[in-house]
Amino acid sequence: MTAGTAGERTAPTPEPVAVPGPARPAGRPPRPVRRREARVGLLFVAPMLLLFTVFRFGPTIGAAFLSLTDYRLSGDWRFIGVENYARLLDDDLFWSSLGVTALYTLFFVPLTVGLSLGTALLLHRTLWLRGFFRGVFFLPYVTSIVLAAVIWKWIYDVEDGLLNAALGVLSLGPVDFLGDERLVLPAIAATSAWKGFGYSMLILLAGLQSIPREVSEAAVIDGATGWRRLRWVTLPLLRPVLFFVLVVEAIGAFQVFDAMYVMTAGGPVRASYSLVYLLYDTGFKFFDFGYASALGLVLFLVVLVFSLIQRRLIGRDD
Amino acid sequence: MARLRLPVLLALVGLVTMTPFAVMVLVAFAPPGGRTLPGAFDLTRATWENFSAVLSGADITRWAANSLVYSLVSVVLILLFSSMAGYAFAKKRFPGREVLFWSFLATLMVPFQATLVPYFVLVSRLGGVDTYWGLIVPTLANSQAVFLMRQFIAQLPDELFEAARIDGASEWRIYTTVVVPLITPVLATLGVFVFLWHWNDFLWPLVIGQSSRMHTLTVGLATLEGENVAVNQIMAGATITVLPCLLVFGLLQRYLTDSIATTGLKN
Repeated sequence: MTAGTAGERTAPTPEPVAVPGPARPAGRPPRPVRRREARVGLLFVAPMLLLFTVFRFGPTIGAAFLSLTDYRLSGDWRFIGVENYARLLDDDLFWSSLGVTALYTLFFVPLTVGLSLGTALLLHRTLWLRGFFRGVFFLPYVTSIVLAAVIWKWIYDVEDGLLNAALGVLSLGPVDFLGDERLVLPAIAATSAWKGFGYSMLILLAGLQSIPREVSEAAVIDGATGWRRLRWVTLPLLRPVLFFVLVVEAIGAFQVFDAMYVMTAGGPVRASYSLVYLLYDTGFKFFDFGYASALGLVLFLVVLVFSLIQRRLIGRDD
Repeated sequence: MARLRLPVLLALVGLVTMTPFAVMVLVAFAPPGGRTLPGAFDLTRATWENFSAVLSGADITRWAANSLVYSLVSVVLILLFSSMAGYAFAKKRFPGREVLFWSFLATLMVPFQATLVPYFVLVSRLGGVDTYWGLIVPTLANSQAVFLMRQFIAQLPDELFEAARIDGASEWRIYTTVVVPLITPVLATLGVFVFLWHWNDFLWPLVIGQSSRMHTLTVGLATLEGENVAVNQIMAGATITVLPCLLVFGLLQRYLTDSIATTGLKN
C-alpha cells in the first residue's frame, strides 16, 4: 500500500530513474496498465467530481466571496470588504437570533440525549418485545420535521389541543405553549426531540451492546448495582459514543429552522427567531445575499468549533 | 417488582411516541369541525370528507407527484454516481485520489444552510428556479453516499475483479456485472435513506420551488398550515404525506435500524 500511494502521487510524471522490469516492487502493475487504470478511475469519479465541483466546492467558495460583497437579487454588486461582518456586530437581530439558537440548543440537546440514553438503556436491559419497541421509538425519525411541526402545533393549541385538554382534566391551564415567550423554545425542542431521538437511541444502543459482557458481570460480582453500575461502569465506557451523539445533536440544533417556520413563524416577538431563520429571511425575503452569506459563515464557524471539540475529545475523525 | 418496572416504562414511552400519530389520524378522520377531543375520538363518525376536501382544494396530488419525482430520481442518480465513484476510490489508483476523496468528505463540515445563498444564486443564474433539474441536480453531490460505497466496495476481494479482467471484460462491464450485484444490499439501504431524506426535505424545495406547482409535499403542507385551512384537512394532508414513510418503514424496519446502528447514516 505504501508503494501504491507513493507511486500514485507521482503517477502522471515519468519516474525519474528507469527501473528495470524485474526490480519493480511486487504487485505493482506495469506502467501502461497503471495509466489505463488511472483513466478508468477518473472516468468513474467524473460524474460525482463534476457535481461536487459545481454544487459543493463552488458554493462554499462562493459563500465566502459573497459575504464580502453587497450582492443583491438584481445581480449588481460591489466589493465591500468586511462591511457585512461589521454590520453583524451592530445588528441586534443577529445577536438575538444567536441567543435564541443557543438557548434552543440548551433545551434540545439534554432533552434528546437524555431521552435517547434512557430508551437505549431500557431496551438494552430488557428482551421483552425489544424489536417492537425499537421500531416504535424510531418511527418518528423517518418522518419529516414539517410533519412533526404540523401535528405538534395542534397538540399545543390553546383552544382544542391535546395537551390543554389533558391539562383541563387536571383542572390546570389553559397554557399557550407557542404563544408564551418562555415556553416556546422548550415546546419546539420537545417536538424536535420527539422527531429525532430515535437516531441517537440506535447509536447509543449499539454502543451499549459493544461493551464487553465480562465488564458488567464483574461489576455485578463486585456488588455494584443499579445507579452505581451505570455511573461507574456503563457511562464511562459509553463516553465516546455519548460524546459523538452530543455533538451531532448540537450541530443539528444550531441549524434549527423548519419547526420554527411552521409552528411559530419565529414568534412570539421573535422569541423563536433562530439564526437560520434570520439567514432565510435576509436571503429570500429581503434578497440581501451578501449579508445572508455572512450569516452563513457564522453558522459554519459554530459548526466547525463543535466538530473540532469533538475531534479533540474523542481523538478520531467521525 | 423491578422486573415489572421496565416493561411498564417501555410501554409508557411507546405510548408517548405514538400518540401524535394517533391524533393525526383521528383528527384527519373526524367530521369537519370536529377538532376538539371528544368529537375527534368518536370513531363511529369517522369520514373520508377531509381527505376529499384537501385533495380537491389544493394542488396536493401535484405536490405528491413532485415529491415522488424528486425522491425517486435522486435515489437512482445518487446510487449510480456514488457507486461508480466508490468503486474508483476503493479499487483504482489515479492521481489525486486521496485528496479528492477527503475533499468530498470535508464538505460534510459545511452546513447546507451556510451555502444556501450562493447555491440559490448559482441555480437561479443557470435558470433552475421552479424546474425539476434545479430541484434535483444540486442535491446529488452526496458525501455520505460516496463514503459508504467506498467503504463497502473496499472490502470486496480484488481477485473477483482480476478474474473478470482476465476474461476480457471491459471496466463498465465489470462494474455492472461484478460490482453492482455484490453491493446490492448496501445500495438498497442507501436507497431507502436517500428516499426518506428527499421525501422529508424542506429548505431546498422551499427556496427553489417558488410557484405552488413546484412545491413538494412538505412545502405544500407548510403553506397549507400558513393559510387558513381547517385543522382536519391539514391532518388529512399530513397523513397523506407520512404514508410513504410509514410504508418504507414498515417494510424495512429491521434493515433501517440496523444500518443506522452500524454506519451512523444521518443527513
